Amino acid sequence: MTENGLKILVVDDESIVIRSCEIVLKGAGYHMEGALGGREAILKMEKERYDLVFTDLKMPEVDGITLIRWLRNSRPDTGIVILTGYPSQDTIKEALGLGIIDYVPKPFTPAVLLDVTRRAVQWLETRKPGAFAISAEMSSPAEPVRDDFPPAMAAELDKVIAHYKHIPGSLIPVLQRAQEMIGWLPVAALKRVSKGMNIPAAEVHSVVSFYSFFTMKPRGDHNIRVCLGTACYVKRAEEILRNLKEGLGIGVGEVTPDRKFSLEEVRCLGACGLAPVVVVDHDTFGGIDPKNSMEIVEKYR
Amino acid sequence: MEQYRAHLMICAGTGCVASGSLKVRDALDVEIRKRGLEKEVKVVLTGCNGFCAKGPIIAVHPGEIFYQVVKPEDVPLLVEEHFIKGRPVEKLMYKMPADKKAIPVMNEIPFFKHQVLRVLRNKGMIDPDSIEEYIARDGYQAAAKALLEMSQQEIIDTVKGSGIRGRGGAGFPTGLKWEFTSKSAADQKYLLCNGDEGDPGAFMDRSVMEADPHSVIEGMVIGSKAIGATKGYIYVRAEYPLAVERLKKAIKDANEAGLLGRNILDSGYDFELDVYLGAGAFVCGEETALMRSIEGQRGMPRPRPPFPAHKGLWDKPTVLNNVETFAQIAPIILNGADWYKSLGTEKSTGTKVFALTGAITNVGLVEVPMGIPLRTIIYDIGGGISKKGKKFKAVQMGGPSGGCIPEHLLDTPVDFDSINATGAIMGSGGMVVMDEDNCMVSLAKFFLGFTADESCGKCPPCRVGTRVMLDTLIDITEGRGKPGDVETLLDLCEDIKATSLCGLGQTAPNPVLTTIKYFREEYESHIHDKWCKTGVCRDLASFEIDAAICTGCGVCARACPQKAITGEKKQPHKIIQELCIQCRTCYDRCKFGSIKIGPGLKFAKAGATNAAVADATAVGGPAAVADATAVGNRGEK
Amino acid sequence: MARLTIDDLKRIKEKHKEEFSLREGGYRAKVTVHMGTCGIAAGAREIMTALMAELREAGAEGVIVATSGCAGLCSKEPLATVEMHGQPPVKYGELTEAKIKTIVKEHVIGGAPVEKLALVTGSETAY
Repeated sequence: MTENGLKILVVDDESIVIRSCEIVLKGAGYHMEGALGGREAILKMEKERYDLVFTDLKMPEVDGITLIRWLRNSRPDTGIVILTGYPSQDTIKEALGLGIIDYVPKPFTPAVLLDVTRRAVQWLETRKPGAFAISAEMSSPAEPVRDDFPPAMAAELDKVIAHYKHIPGSLIPVLQRAQEMIGWLPVAALKRVSKGMNIPAAEVHSVVSFYSFFTMKPRGDHNIRVCLGTACYVKRAEEILRNLKEGLGIGVGEVTPDRKFSLEEVRCLGACGLAPVVVVDHDTFGGIDPKNSMEIVEKYR
Repeated sequence: MEQYRAHLMICAGTGCVASGSLKVRDALDVEIRKRGLEKEVKVVLTGCNGFCAKGPIIAVHPGEIFYQVVKPEDVPLLVEEHFIKGRPVEKLMYKMPADKKAIPVMNEIPFFKHQVLRVLRNKGMIDPDSIEEYIARDGYQAAAKALLEMSQQEIIDTVKGSGIRGRGGAGFPTGLKWEFTSKSAADQKYLLCNGDEGDPGAFMDRSVMEADPHSVIEGMVIGSKAIGATKGYIYVRAEYPLAVERLKKAIKDANEAGLLGRNILDSGYDFELDVYLGAGAFVCGEETALMRSIEGQRGMPRPRPPFPAHKGLWDKPTVLNNVETFAQIAPIILNGADWYKSLGTEKSTGTKVFALTGAITNVGLVEVPMGIPLRTIIYDIGGGISKKGKKFKAVQMGGPSGGCIPEHLLDTPVDFDSINATGAIMGSGGMVVMDEDNCMVSLAKFFLGFTADESCGKCPPCRVGTRVMLDTLIDITEGRGKPGDVETLLDLCEDIKATSLCGLGQTAPNPVLTTIKYFREEYESHIHDKWCKTGVCRDLASFEIDAAICTGCGVCARACPQKAITGEKKQPHKIIQELCIQCRTCYDRCKFGSIKIGPGLKFAKAGATNAAVADATAVGGPAAVADATAVGNRGEK
Repeated sequence: MARLTIDDLKRIKEKHKEEFSLREGGYRAKVTVHMGTCGIAAGAREIMTALMAELREAGAEGVIVATSGCAGLCSKEPLATVEMHGQPPVKYGELTEAKIKTIVKEHVIGGAPVEKLALVTGSETAY
């Protein structure tokens, strides 16, 4: 993927934004097109492939978040950068949750736009084509691992670090926020935390490896957690776990080759009244017959 | 504010007024004055209740008694009977439409009848996100009393006098803990709440934090004055997102209302409170480990002394109490030590909340006076074993630190010391009931798997010992058990108990000790006969259909994932052993109990001893013997 | 909320006793959906949505809809409690959207507890 072969789509309901992007990006040698709203963008992308999409959030009809959701589902390999005049914590958080690479606050200068574009392109390149289809053995260092995270998240993480930096004992809250944002704790994130908090990397790692909440492996799109509390155990949660392992073809702590599912066991969710319990993402399923374990998972295919 | 003994609510809706409710009110006023009850009984007019056809309606609180179609001439009788003699007038009482008996009332249902709510006093009654609703139910009255009217020593004395013992498991007297810490001189002290409810099968604390977060906060405000702490944390498991959310909201509201933070209720006391999210380590339930965790490190326990009362969080004097303990502090302050002691036993006062789960009919959260027999909890409140026809086997109390209590000890009263005497512990209140289909060896394995996994690794006896015990248990459940294993386990138990630093290691052997103590024959049968009689350990079980019982209904054949069951309709079916994977589905599905569990076939040669065959006779009848023999032959070929 | 004094505490208590006990608040019914982790996992949110929709559809007035924590009887989740002015509270368990609709129609609006769905009536012993 070279800069010249890369195709960018800028989506904004104001034509002046698209025009100025055109001047800057085309001037720098990028191939760029514009769309005056979410609907037009989707129509364009139905026909053609774009590698990177810059989108406004507040647009009539199909807004930015809706467009990002559509992209996530239908064009998961496309990189997304948001252009926004309203970088409120909530919208940024929502967009981060949907996996954007970065954001450009409006109004922006040509230098900022070029800088963000370069970073986004770099990010796309590090992931490489096919990076999404990592196999279950991704824990082995020989495999290509997404060992970085988007610049937008880095900026968010820095904010979190700055907030906690001078509060003693806040390593765990910082790591919790980092994992909440990224979904897991890549080595790069731990290094950033170590540097930012001025805590030795070894100590950061010692804390991460001690607590079961933290994970240094990426999770699948849907994380399946099987409760192994006593009440669930008594109601044969072990068999559910065995059936899921067999059905998905992965072990505990692993991710399916298509990265759709990851499987974890968890110590009591405190929902013993519903035992045995399986949680997929944020949905809780109770009173499961071990025989039907895979039926729950199939709903998320 | 005047206190009335009773409120009489008279409906003054249009309908009731039309049917004469105001005349009834006048008659009541006259009658109450005549009897000199005006200081005790208050008459209130209320809005329409929607039952105009039966008006005028009068409701009496407390007692929740409802009178209907009351006429002025009924009033003298009503006042005489209800307020002087204290018995409701039945002929005027409201009757439920249709059959009155159709909906049982609380004290007719054992699940509710045996419970007394103190910790759970606001259970399901208030909106947890509304501080006003908490205040409306006497909330923060106790904090006001403690901060404005009581001295530090008076608070400590009241809590000490109540006899309340820590609800986290070990049962250390709360008042004493507070007193020690109050006497430590320091520029800063901390008050911590342990909401790291790690015992699998326990969810009392989660429920309290979710349903009534202010009750915990109020208890902490009172405690902070008692020990002189100005800063506190509630340490909550990350697995409890809803509890965290509600606590955060409650803390924010309490701060804004001046019930937390600086100069609480203008008393001059400060107490700053935060939620600290745990990161998933069972050992952090141990107090020194929890403190290390708040300091941002690995949560590993350290030796005591120094005790946290002298050197706790950041080396400052610190008190750590459990959620359930804090939730009881406000009523103790409000009602006094004697009130608290009026329930429970001499050494275990008050009530205890249990999370009743497992193979039981009524799964739920129950609060009972200490000293009530286990049997009442399991059979009356819990409604007994959920699966029809199955027998009770054991109740597990105290999670990975506790043990299994068998049938013959069910009359044990639930108090700290009696439960300890059985080998289990009170723990935080998880009560998991098991029926005859649960294998005790495999349960011990489950708990050892838990502790081996959660051992922080600091002390070798715990780190290595639990691992060795786990491996031995895995061997036993997979058919590699050998004579002497039980003795080895018992030796290890003693060593680990004696040489571990913290509670996790010291109590880790309990599940094994109690199952060996009460269910030793199960271990023996796993080891010697290669036979798990419950069929839970797949390798140690085989399944046969008893032709004498089988009705040929075909349910098992349809359910079998291996299609290993054959037979004509209405004729006894048969399991093809070569195809069977011992999944136990047929056993669970059969309504007639015709599936019999025999020893594991893999080990037939080594294991089909005479004893096993003799046992098979007892369990499975002639068919099982015939098959066991056949199996034995096959194995010898 | 402004900082409270001890008198405010008493005032709030009285005010709420009046408003939310259905006595002087002018309400005729209160429906509480129990929303602890268990309840939500068992579908309490869906019950809440169905309840609101049904009340709106029926144009019912004077009904307080409240959320609360766990009611303790987990095996019967989702649970809701219906309190009608002048009657002891009635608890309903193992709710479905269809059941809550029936309860709104017959009990909340019609005034007659739905016997075949009710678990228990009355208040628990506190203290």
